[in-house]
Formats: sequence, structure tokens, C-alpha cells
Amino acid sequence: MKTKRLILISLFALGAILLSACSGAAFSNNWPGLAADEERVYVTSGSFVYAVEVQTGRQIWRFPADSDNKLLFYANPVLTEDGQLLIGSAGQNHTLFSLDPETGREKWSLQNGAKNVWMAPPLVFNEVIYAPNTDGFLYILDMRGREIADPIELGGALWSQPVTDGTSIYVTSLDHHLHIINPSTRKTLPPVNLGGAVPGSPAIGDGGVYVGSFASNIYFITPRGESKVVASADNWIWGTPALDGDILYYADLEGIVYSLDLTSGRQNWDRQKPDGPVVANPLVTDDRIYVVTEAGGIFVLDRDGKIIWDRNPGGNIYTTPVIAGDLILVAPYQADFAIAAYDEAGRQAWTFTPGK
Amino acid sequence: MWEAIIVQPMTNLLLFIYDLLGNGPHMFGLAIILFTVLIKAVTWPLNAAQVKGAQAMQELQNDKDWQEIQKKYAKDREKLAQEQMRIYKEKGINPFASCLPTLVQFPIIIGLYQSIIRALSATPLDMLKLARTVYPFQNVENIIPLNSKFLWMDLGQPEPYYILAIIVAVSTWIQSKLTMPTSSNPNDQSAQMSRMMSIYMPLLLGWFALTFPSGISVYFIISNVLGVVQYAATGRANWSNVFSFGSKPQQQQPSQKKKK
Repeated sequence: MKTKRLILISLFALGAILLSACSGAAFSNNWPGLAADEERVYVTSGSFVYAVEVQTGRQIWRFPADSDNKLLFYANPVLTEDGQLLIGSAGQNHTLFSLDPETGREKWSLQNGAKNVWMAPPLVFNEVIYAPNTDGFLYILDMRGREIADPIELGGALWSQPVTDGTSIYVTSLDHHLHIINPSTRKTLPPVNLGGAVPGSPAIGDGGVYVGSFASNIYFITPRGESKVVASADNWIWGTPALDGDILYYADLEGIVYSLDLTSGRQNWDRQKPDGPVVANPLVTDDRIYVVTEAGGIFVLDRDGKIIWDRNPGGNIYTTPVIAGDLILVAPYQADFAIAAYDEAGRQAWTFTPGK
Repeated sequence: MWEAIIVQPMTNLLLFIYDLLGNGPHMFGLAIILFTVLIKAVTWPLNAAQVKGAQAMQELQNDKDWQEIQKKYAKDREKLAQEQMRIYKEKGINPFASCLPTLVQFPIIIGLYQSIIRALSATPLDMLKLARTVYPFQNVENIIPLNSKFLWMDLGQPEPYYILAIIVAVSTWIQSKLTMPTSSNPNDQSAQMSRMMSIYMPLLLGWFALTFPSGISVYFIISNVLGVVQYAATGRANWSNVFSFGSKPQQQQPSQKKKK
């Protein structure tokens, strides 16, 4: 009898431990956020934000100084013209922070403002912060973090950074819609249905925006909310398309990178497929297109879709790379380091591993 | 292996039911309820075996041979165990049969927990995992993201008012009390085991309900209610046990015994 009781209690305990191991998984994991200026690169890693010297990869500061298990940072930090670094927490503590980019010291914070976590970076436009939250509201703050208007209810979880063409603000939502807001009146147009969830931001184009969705289509939407499908993909489109003149670059979860000629509506390439699904945005600079893949690949393509060089620093790359000075910076997920820097020729300049 | 056998089919089944229901508000809660009904239907034979096994164990307590060896080998535990095993074999009784359905619940609970988290996709990484999880024939673009609202709850988060935790604990307690074997024999092992279960299980599941997403609690409650219905349908439900707080379980009436 005692043995049976022991076995039974042990099995319950084991079950409890197994479930406990999963506990909190809802917000326990995601890929890092990345941003850079000429001097510093900012990367989020779990409950910290790090600032690292662009030239050397040496850590400058970390926020917060001591670990706080209620904080988690997943969004790309946002640098403002007036010298702030904005980053929201996706942890139990739903705080939006403004940090000093030089020192990492907190300038202000918006606590208890939002009902849910911050996954998306905010947009700063005309000295107003537009901060989308996963509670479906767009919060409107001044540059000191004070709410200057009632938040706008858009619906669905907002995971992507709003963009502006200087007249309207465009916000995508997981509720399958693109929301167009007039920043002066804060009124919204009827939402534009994109046939599926939209985790990426739109790309500003001539006379409208381009955006992809889980319906595996690229849509063109005018500021008045008129939409049309301009291209399709083999799988869900996650990232923001990259517009370069008349060419629109985008990629899908099938791992195919597309180059769409907007004038003719034809694809320039015949199924350029690197080594895995693409979640991050393609990055276009001069005559190069940078594509990172879930398999950890960094691919540099020319305009004809030919690979100039490719590297695999390890881990999975979901975060859009950034250019700082002469370096291309990537932030892999589940790699031995948080950032890897490469020069134009693909030589690794440095890696950054957060200290404990 | 775990992913392919448990999490992927469960997640797809939940998504399929959700889509079938029309994927509006509260529908994911209804999908979990229907999912639980399906699981109960699939594990029906196991539960029937549990009832049968518990009954057989109970009857054994009144068996002459059984009572004799209890007296004869009261001081020789090893020999007693050997003799008990012999009688189990002779009578074709599996003493662990009554525990099996309870143990089968654990992979279901863990799989369901992972499926709910996966289906509700609170983070981009979860969403990406979900994209991999869905079977090719499922057309989920239209239903993702799922609406996690059900009544006053967010099914992806623990219920904040402890209401569900209390209902889970009470319904588990009622179910275990109803199915508790009735015996006047103080050495009745199956009755002792059941008494122990009626204490541990409500506490454990109540704690789960406090800690884990409320979708799991919905599963527990529906599962308990269906368990009670299933047991009551056999005519063996011992309602007097439910109201005998703290006291020893009531012995089954002869008229009830005849029903078996």
C-alpha cells in the first residue's frame, strides 16, 4: 500500500513539475529586437536592453542594471530625434520606457497605461509618440510619456510599428486589417481587410502603402483605403516589403525571396530560395539586398538575385538586420551571442555576448 | 515525437472545431468543451474499465480467501503481497486498472496546455510555431489569430478571480467522492487509495487551475462533469459519500449492490 501511495504521489508530483516547466510560456520567449545609430547598436535580450559600441562590439550599458523578472523586451528599440530610446516591455510589467541612449538611464516610463504587453515599436511623428499595444489600442503620448489623447481602439493585437507618409498613419493588426488614421483629427477610416493576420508593417510607396499578410498576398492601399492585390506568394508573408524605386522586395515563410517590378507587375527573379523561411524584412542598401533566414543564414543578393556572399553565424534569425557605419548587424535567436557584425565583404568583425 | 503524436493533432483538432463553430468570440471556449467531450468519448472504455476494476476490488474485500490471507499473513508483508498477487491473478483483477484513466489524463493535460498556448499564439514565436503545426489541409489563414475570450475569461491566461479554481477543486472532489469504493473494512486498500485521491486530486487540479491558462480549467470542469454523468449512468454513483463530510464513506446498500 505504501509503495502504491508513493508511486501515485510521485506521478502527481512529476505531472506538476512537467506542467510547471511549461508555466509562463505565454510570454517567455521570442526573438530579440535590434536598432542602431552611427555609434551604438541596441539589442534586447530577455529582460535586458544592451547598448554596444558599433566599432568594437563592447558593451556600453545595460538596462535595467539588475535583473527584473517582470520585464521582457522583444520589440525593436526606437531612437528619437530628441535623444530618447523607446522600448516597451512584453513581460508581466507592461511598461513603456524612455531611456537615455548614451547612458541607459530611464528618462520616463508609462506604467499601467496599457492593458497588455508591448510587442511593437512605437512611431514618433511630429513630436507625438504613437505606441501600438497588444490590447488593440494605439496610445498617443507626448515626448515625455504623458497621454495627450484617448487611445484609439483598433482591435486585434498590434505587433508592428506604425508608419506614416506624412499625412496619414498606417497601423496593421492581427485582426486582418490595416487601419488608416488621420493624426490631426485622430479619426480612422474604415479598416481595410487584408484577408489574414498582418504581423508586419506596411512599406510607404508612391501614392500608398504596400503590405503583406497571412493571406499570402501583397496589397497596395491608398490613403483613402482603396486596396488591390499586386502580387502573391507561396506562403504567409510576415515581414515588411522593401521598396527600392520601382522594385518591391518581399519574402515568405516558404523561404522564397521575390523581386516585383511594380511597373510591369512581373517578378524579376525566378524563385530565389535561400535556406529557410524568412520572417524578417528584406533590407535594401545601394545595390544589395540583405535577407536573413530562420535557418540562421545571412544572404547578400545583387539586384539580379545572385548571391554575393552568405554566412551562417548560428541560431535562427528572425530579426531584421541593421546597417551601422560599414557594418551589417544581425541578432540571432538562440545563438551563442546576441549580435554578430559583418563588413561589406562578409568578414565577421565582432560578436557580442551579454555578460551575466 | 511528442510534438507529432500529441501537440500537433490536438492543436489541429482544436483549430478544426473552432473553425467549424464559426470562430467568433467565445468559440474557442466552446471548442475546448467539444474537444473534452471527444476525449471523454475516446477514453470511455478506459473509464469503464476503471469502474469495473474499482468494483472488482471492492468485491474482493468481502471475499473469504482474501480476508483469510489478511489475517493469516498480517505480520508477514512480503508473503501477504505474494498471496494478494495470486488472488488478483486467479480472479483476473488488475489492481492498477482503476489508476490508469487518471494517469492517462496527464499527457492529455500537458498536450492540451501546449496546444492552447500554441493555438492562441501570444508571441510572434508562438505564431511561427503555429504556422508549422497546422496540417496542410487546414485553411487557418481566416481564423488566426484565435479569439481567446470566453465568458469573462482570457483562455490563454489564468482566471483572475479564483472562481474556476474553486469550481475545479469542488467538481474534482465531488467526482472522486462519488466514485469512492464503499467498504466497512478498515484494511480495504482500494478504499484507502480512493480516500487519498479524493484529497490530493482536488488540491492538485485546483492549483493547476490557479496557475495555468483558464482553458485548462474549462477542460477539468467539463471532464469532471462528464465523469460524474458517466458514473451516474452506471447506477453506482454513491451520492451519500458527497454529503458525508469528514466521516468514513457510507457502505453501499444491498439494493445498489444488486445492480452490478
